[in-house]
Amino acid sequence: MDAESQERFREFVESRSGALLRTAVLLSGGDRHAAEDLLQNALVKVADRWSRVDEPEAYVRQVLYRQQVGRWRLKWPRREVAVAEPPERPGDGGEGAAELRVVMRGALARLTPRQRTVLVLRYFEDLPEANVARILGCSVGTVRSTTHRSLARLRTLAPELAALGRAPAETAPPRGISPVEVRP
Amino acid sequence: MNVEQLVREALQEEAAAGGTARGDLADRVLTARRRRNRRGIAGAVAVTAALVAAAVTVPELGGDAEAASPASASINGDVVAHPDQSPPRDMIAAGNTAVSGYFTGRAVKQPDGKELFSRYYTVLDQKTGKYKALDTKWAWVDVAPGMRTAAVLEGELPARRIGMLDLMTGKVERWIRTDRPVAGVEWSPDGKRLVATAYSKNPDRIDRPQANRTGFYLVDAASGEVGPFRTLRQPSSGKWGYDGNSREDVGWSHDGTKLYVERLKPSNGKSDNRAWYTTSGAKTAPPAGERFGGLSEAGLSPDGKLVAVNGDSGGSPLVNPKTGKKVGLVPGMQPLAWADSKRLITIGCDPKKCSGKNEFRNQLLLVTVGSKKAVPLSGFRKASADYLGRWVPLTAAR
Repeated sequence: MDAESQERFREFVESRSGALLRTAVLLSGGDRHAAEDLLQNALVKVADRWSRVDEPEAYVRQVLYRQQVGRWRLKWPRREVAVAEPPERPGDGGEGAAELRVVMRGALARLTPRQRTVLVLRYFEDLPEANVARILGCSVGTVRSTTHRSLARLRTLAPELAALGRAPAETAPPRGISPVEVRP
Repeated sequence: MNVEQLVREALQEEAAAGGTARGDLADRVLTARRRRNRRGIAGAVAVTAALVAAAVTVPELGGDAEAASPASASINGDVVAHPDQSPPRDMIAAGNTAVSGYFTGRAVKQPDGKELFSRYYTVLDQKTGKYKALDTKWAWVDVAPGMRTAAVLEGELPARRIGMLDLMTGKVERWIRTDRPVAGVEWSPDGKRLVATAYSKNPDRIDRPQANRTGFYLVDAASGEVGPFRTLRQPSSGKWGYDGNSREDVGWSHDGTKLYVERLKPSNGKSDNRAWYTTSGAKTAPPAGERFGGLSEAGLSPDGKLVAVNGDSGGSPLVNPKTGKKVGLVPGMQPLAWADSKRLITIGCDPKKCSGKNEFRNQLLLVTVGSKKAVPLSGFRKASADYLGRWVPLTAAR
């Protein structure tokens, strides 16, 4: 990488690292240190291909998502994630919205990286299922089934969510489930 | 609200709390890449390296880390080296000690035809981590431990006030006036006091040696309070005139309890030594542990177990502070400061490169007690010892 490319790379990191780190934090279930590692690895990859990459941000995001999925595929030991609040608290049925979000964040942190990645893409990045499938290199059916299973898993992890209404993604039993890919 | 909505909100909340990446992320990435590429070439050498922040102020490096840095730098653990820089442009440090700056000396002709030895100081800019030239009006500069403040004197010396220069802002925060003019100041090892040496005339005039020292003051740095003037003249001139140096400043012992002045080859035939005084200027015995230090700037190690003595191109002796017996030898000629109790910053030739042949082509080195290895910290200083203009390193605790 020549000096000019390094300068452009620095500018890119400076302007986009905030947004990219936010995504990395979500993918890591709120683990800030894991998020920085994840982002740094993705940035090393984009730096390697700097002269050939037209849209560095899209590239970094793709690497971030796929790294997360790769962790699951490789069956790496799951990291315990430290969360500020215990994910399951005895519910008295009167939790406010803020408290429910805290419960939800705790539950999200306990999903597998793949489940969390699918939910981040679907509900934070607001991407259609087809785009999620393309990014993760799987079928639309797999995206749909993973979403369904992930939401169900959140309800199991946090009984406080039982009172919430069912989302469309939860209602229709998914088709084309690959048992390997959706196993929690 | 359904689960999807709550997931959306929880993710947005989490993202908002994610904060921002540390400012040096790009540098860390580029360093990680370079390190990986080096490892690839070397053939999978196992290196454990955690990335740490190389702050632009004084980096607090810890562990077996390699940090982000400019391309020329080598940062390994708590050692920041720039072996291609002479004089250094970016911070050099090892352990608890950093090169706080340097000066270059030049003989400047005065209106009366005589010459003045003038020092031009460059000190570490705390904002950028780079060395930056100070205003040439400062004729004397001593950087405090911690490198946040420097005590400065205006030229031409001697000066009647001491400036406290804030190295973060570059501004003088306070002026401390002294009744009698002073030409040298030195911080106590704990950075709480200053000793200011008073002279009636500029001791940096290049002339035959003159004994113009009048005494010294102790100054409390926090309050700016100047203690009573203590008379401490240079010995009276002999038959052939004064045989010491014109500048013979008062300095601190390692523990900050006693003061000394250097005597260079006095006429009684004894070698270079130090004369010791109490803080009120009365003659006293050398502090335990500093009897055998000679004129070495590094002297006693932080744990008090070794004394580094000035050596020659073959190395510098380490002696037992209690007995004066030589217990070891480290590379380098002129030990400047201990980085910790095992490592010394010294000036010398890299033994691999110069085999002790040319003592004037030398550089800053980091040497370790019990090892013949020397890690270059700076590039080579050129020319002979009497070449005016070569850089003279200054060190400070960081």
